[in-house]
Amino acid sequence: MIVAERKPLAEIVAALGKCRKVLVVSCSGCTAVCFTGGAKQAEVLASSIRMHYRVAGVPVNTGTVAVTRQCDREFLQPIEHRLTGVDAVVSLACGVGVQFLAEAFADLWVVPALNTRFAGGRVGTTLWEERCRMCGDCILHLTGGICPVTRCSKSLLNGPCGGAAGEHCEIDSSIPCAWIHIYERLKRAGRLELWQKLQQPKDWSRGNAGGLGRLAREDYSE
Amino acid sequence: MSSFKPKIIAFCCYNCAYAAADLAGTMRLQYDPCVSVIGVPCTGAIDLTTVLTAFEEGADGVFIAGCLKGECHYKVGNLRALERVKYLKRVLSEAGIDGDRLEMYFLSAAMGSRFAEIAKEMTDRIRGMGPLPLNGCPEEGEGK
Amino acid sequence: MGVEKSGRVMVVGGGIGGIQAALDLAQAGFSVYLVEQRYAIGGTMPILSRTFPSNECSLCNISPRLVECGRKPGVTVMTGTEVLAAEGEPGAFKVRLLEHPRSVLIDRCRACGDCAGVCPVEVPDEFNQGLAKRKAIYQPYPQGFPKAYVVDRTACLECSACEAVCKPEAINRAQKPREIMLDVGAIVLCLGFQPFDPTGLQRYGYGRITNVITSLEFERVLSSGGPSHGRLVMPDGKVPGKIAWVQCVGSRKNSDGQRHCSSVCCMASIKMALAATEQSEVAVEAVIFHQDVRTWGKGYERYYRRARDQGIRFERAAVERVEDAGAGQVRVVFAGEDGKTRYENYDLVVLAVGMQPHDDLPRRLNLKLTEDGFIATGTGSLVTSRPGIYAAGCCTGPKDISGTVTEAAAAASEVAVLLGGARGTNSNNAKHAASERDVRAETPKVGVFVCRCGVNIGGVVDVPQVVSEASKMANVVAAEELTYACSQDSQNYIKEVIRKKGLNRLVIASCSPRTHKFLFQNTLREAGINRYLCEMTNIRDHCAWVHGSEPQKATAKAAGLVRMAVAKARTLEPVEEITGAVVPSALVVGAGAAGLSAALGLAEQGFEVHLVEKSDHLGGYAARTYFDPSVPDLPAFISKLIDRVMTHPLIFAHLQRQVAEVRGHIGNFTSVLDNGDTIKHGVAVLAPGSAEYRGDEYLPGDPDVLTLSEMDSLLGRGKGNSLHNVVFIQCVGSRNETRPYCSRSCCTRSLDLALQVKVQSPACNVYILYRDMMTFGRYEKLYQRARGAGVVFIRFDPEKNKPRVIRNENNLTVSVPDHILRRTLIIDCDKVVLATATVPDDVKALAGLFKVAADSDGYFLEAHHSLRPVDFAAAGIYMCGDAHAPKTLEESILQAKAVAARAGAVLNRGVVEAGGVFARVDPQKCVTCLNCTLICPYNVPVIRERYSEIEPIQCQGCGICVAECPNNAIDLVGYRKDQMAAQVRALLRGEV
Repeated sequence: MIVAERKPLAEIVAALGKCRKVLVVSCSGCTAVCFTGGAKQAEVLASSIRMHYRVAGVPVNTGTVAVTRQCDREFLQPIEHRLTGVDAVVSLACGVGVQFLAEAFADLWVVPALNTRFAGGRVGTTLWEERCRMCGDCILHLTGGICPVTRCSKSLLNGPCGGAAGEHCEIDSSIPCAWIHIYERLKRAGRLELWQKLQQPKDWSRGNAGGLGRLAREDYSE
Repeated sequence: MSSFKPKIIAFCCYNCAYAAADLAGTMRLQYDPCVSVIGVPCTGAIDLTTVLTAFEEGADGVFIAGCLKGECHYKVGNLRALERVKYLKRVLSEAGIDGDRLEMYFLSAAMGSRFAEIAKEMTDRIRGMGPLPLNGCPEEGEGK
Repeated sequence: MGVEKSGRVMVVGGGIGGIQAALDLAQAGFSVYLVEQRYAIGGTMPILSRTFPSNECSLCNISPRLVECGRKPGVTVMTGTEVLAAEGEPGAFKVRLLEHPRSVLIDRCRACGDCAGVCPVEVPDEFNQGLAKRKAIYQPYPQGFPKAYVVDRTACLECSACEAVCKPEAINRAQKPREIMLDVGAIVLCLGFQPFDPTGLQRYGYGRITNVITSLEFERVLSSGGPSHGRLVMPDGKVPGKIAWVQCVGSRKNSDGQRHCSSVCCMASIKMALAATEQSEVAVEAVIFHQDVRTWGKGYERYYRRARDQGIRFERAAVERVEDAGAGQVRVVFAGEDGKTRYENYDLVVLAVGMQPHDDLPRRLNLKLTEDGFIATGTGSLVTSRPGIYAAGCCTGPKDISGTVTEAAAAASEVAVLLGGARGTNSNNAKHAASERDVRAETPKVGVFVCRCGVNIGGVVDVPQVVSEASKMANVVAAEELTYACSQDSQNYIKEVIRKKGLNRLVIASCSPRTHKFLFQNTLREAGINRYLCEMTNIRDHCAWVHGSEPQKATAKAAGLVRMAVAKARTLEPVEEITGAVVPSALVVGAGAAGLSAALGLAEQGFEVHLVEKSDHLGGYAARTYFDPSVPDLPAFISKLIDRVMTHPLIFAHLQRQVAEVRGHIGNFTSVLDNGDTIKHGVAVLAPGSAEYRGDEYLPGDPDVLTLSEMDSLLGRGKGNSLHNVVFIQCVGSRNETRPYCSRSCCTRSLDLALQVKVQSPACNVYILYRDMMTFGRYEKLYQRARGAGVVFIRFDPEKNKPRVIRNENNLTVSVPDHILRRTLIIDCDKVVLATATVPDDVKALAGLFKVAADSDGYFLEAHHSLRPVDFAAAGIYMCGDAHAPKTLEESILQAKAVAARAGAVLNRGVVEAGGVFARVDPQKCVTCLNCTLICPYNVPVIRERYSEIEPIQCQGCGICVAECPNNAIDLVGYRKDQMAAQVRALLRGEV
């Protein structure tokens, strides 16, 4: 899932500027799960915006609306009736959702309320961690299910480096060395030969260095 | 500022703080009538939005009072409430409202005099701060 | 044999004990006559200002139970009635009763007080201990049940003035005493006690000196319902600055009184001293003159410490006399520990009067009495010398409320065992609730009732003004004031208004919902409306009482609180009663004396019991012990108990097993043992017991320094015949900073063993070094016997002069400074016996498994110290034995029987209902984020399909998950977010 964090209120209200009617749109997808983009956070943000402007002496009108997934146009259409007279929409979705919202309503001023951080998952009751950098060229079957691109601070494809201290990364001692873990897992699986095999550099053109990513269904052409 | 009549809401759990407020009554301890208690089963039940609503509707101060630490009838409800209060203090100050208008307290059912003290403490604190800055500005209402 | 057993039970005495027994028996399916000699039930509790150690209002604590007695199907309350005789045998008694004329018809009386208003006769008011007057026609006390007046025929002038003003024509002075015969299967006596009357005693000046009063009189002075409305004034009208309490008046061989200790006076005096310093308008200097401070109960030592910290002075002294010092002063002449006589002057002296037995009825019933005159009962049982007749509470010996409630429940379980098959056969009082009207489609019609609580609210808040404001609020179709909303007649009146005006929401503005909401919910239910459409607001404790000096502001605030309640009431929704079936079996953890007794108590009522014990034997520490002062001939007793458990067909013992996992909730638990066995059970009893502390004080490992159980074993094996000098040291590891509690049984056990030493080595010198001898109740005589046998008692103060023990080549030397001799005593001895602390065993682990609470001393935390001493807050789980708090063996056994009554009633009912407050998930909004499942402290939410599910019967209703849900998919029924917002808005904006 996509993990995102709330922007400071100051940044959001700066982007809202003189907007007087604001709709805060939550997303019941990934950002709700990571506790930043759900209906509750939308209400808290709407309340913060109202209070901020009232303190400044210029009241604004705000409301909230929930969207199942902002990254699907079909889920966005039902909120159209709420947009009448709205000066700005604040989106609590990831960057994808914000853009889909903007695309769905051409004349709408859309403000992102979140910074999209990474693709990851929950590792503690209230802690999320990155697991995938979307390289488009997955090698997890060669690394014992541990991604060296995200979890090695240097994204080394052949490791470990010489800096691992104990079992920890020399760059950030709070994270375990991905390569030591890869080694341990492969050893347990009796497949150390995979570790000994030299990995060639990745083809980043399939990933986030290759321009606009696009994907079509193979069994269906529009 | 002498004409300022603060409005303070105290969210109290029935197990401890509400009982302490009852005891303050039994003991006839006097505090300012500007403090009104709303009972909840546990302070852990108090939603972020409920507290923000209180401020938006014009409360000059809010305090949440639960059981003593480690004595919550629901184990951790009061600690969850404490963390939410800390978070809400930041939310409030981000919006330009002094976070100290919101406070968390821990009480046992037997601490009637402490409840009266807290009521006084909060009343004095809020009087010192003056009216909630929102109370000078009419709101636009919510466009639902 | 062959007697057809009756399912009716007579409970005699309507104090808290009788009420508990009656309610527990009714809950277990029996029909109960609750017979009270006075004209209102309640007993002593309503007289008290507060209860210790929780400091709660005593009346507020008991009053919901008084009303419950009036409502409970199966309970018939008979007041003004005494028992003359009982004949028959267990299962079939014929009881002859005498009903004295009340001269007022209960059904007609509205308790309006018009009659008392015109009555010309004034006599001393017994309820207020004579400190106030009442009329010849009067209410025993305002909250009493039945809520009806009574004519005092001895004082009545027969002038008929009352009859002339009584609109409902409720007065009937032609009533004559009436004899009644009733058939019952068993009788439970909860007669309570009689306070010692110090009138005849010269030395305390009572009756001669104005400002010398008894403790019960002072309770009334402190009580907010008392003659001075809780204002601290003396009989001479002045406000006392200096108050002395004199302990043991009529107890412990003092002042020609009883030989026993009255058990509760130390704590009661501490309570009163604390209350006096807190309630008084001036600074109060409080001094308690005592022999020992007996803080033997749960939480008592902490209470004592708190009192000391708050400046209450404790003077260890023998009070020789109390004299009039002139100028309104009272002189207390006392001998301190140094033996020197001194005196101090006080404004007020309170005599802590002891408890004496009632002697009439037990004698009429030919019951065997103890040497103190209390009713004698069996060992670890409440059966009297007449089978089928049981006795509980203070009539078997002085005790506190928690002990009384425990015994009453225990007696109920003994009755349930005796009459088991006959329960439910006689229904003498079935009250069928009206069917519920579906109000979901109706617009809210709110009825607001504002209580005056006599002058408690009405004296400060302008009640008519609040009523008038309420009547203007949206959806309010009725707004009225009531003098006492909680009274029986008010309940009937509210029901009438609900029916007449078609109300579908009820708002009561009165006192605390904590104590009274249940009552008004029932009222609503009885009027055919869902009970959860009732809202209460507290304009007494949170308004009138705390803003007494600002009546206008208080009135405005009360109106705001009512507005808030109305706003919430409008949004209330009916909650269906969710029920679940009960698995008819019990799990008992721990097979010590308590666990065994609980298991047997349940099995003998016909329920299957799984007894889980981690060791390889039954009986716990009791099975390894020879001497116990509370259970004579312990080895025989315990082996008989084990035998009965082993041979009982319904008890399955799982030895050398521990519970590894627990799932489920009341009615339907599943426990997995460490061997993988799975047990399904409807209730659980936790009785893991305690361990004996040793610590590193006093030469650990030394073969001649023994703990109590080691000494017990030595003497039990008859090895105590060559002792010359033995020193017992009390409170080793107890009553200190680490363990601020008394271990309760060590003083009595030490005395018992000391006497045993004297038996085996008659010439042996025995010393007991103590702080306060905790020989409460009947154990005082054990103390007296030990002194008589020549045991030497030396008191020490652990902060100033803790005893020291030194190892010599052939013996031990104990040195301790003696207060009286004012020199250090050196005692050479062969054995030192340490009365070490009791420490909880396995409580923490079990608390975690069963998700129940432990207190700050590491013992299980009960739902309410005094009134629910064996229940956990979590439904369907009960505690007994030392894991609740240290206690005597007999107390553990009785507590186990109390558990058998409480748990047995659940199993007997067969169904459980969910509470009205629980979390409810909207599956449409749930994003399966797992927050609720991860954060719920009870692990209730589960995600099976595409959304979180929360089982209402299991949900504890804390609402933590509600505030955790990021998508607002969970709401707490009864405290929905929109309801909270409506309340806040109504309060702050004045929206009506």
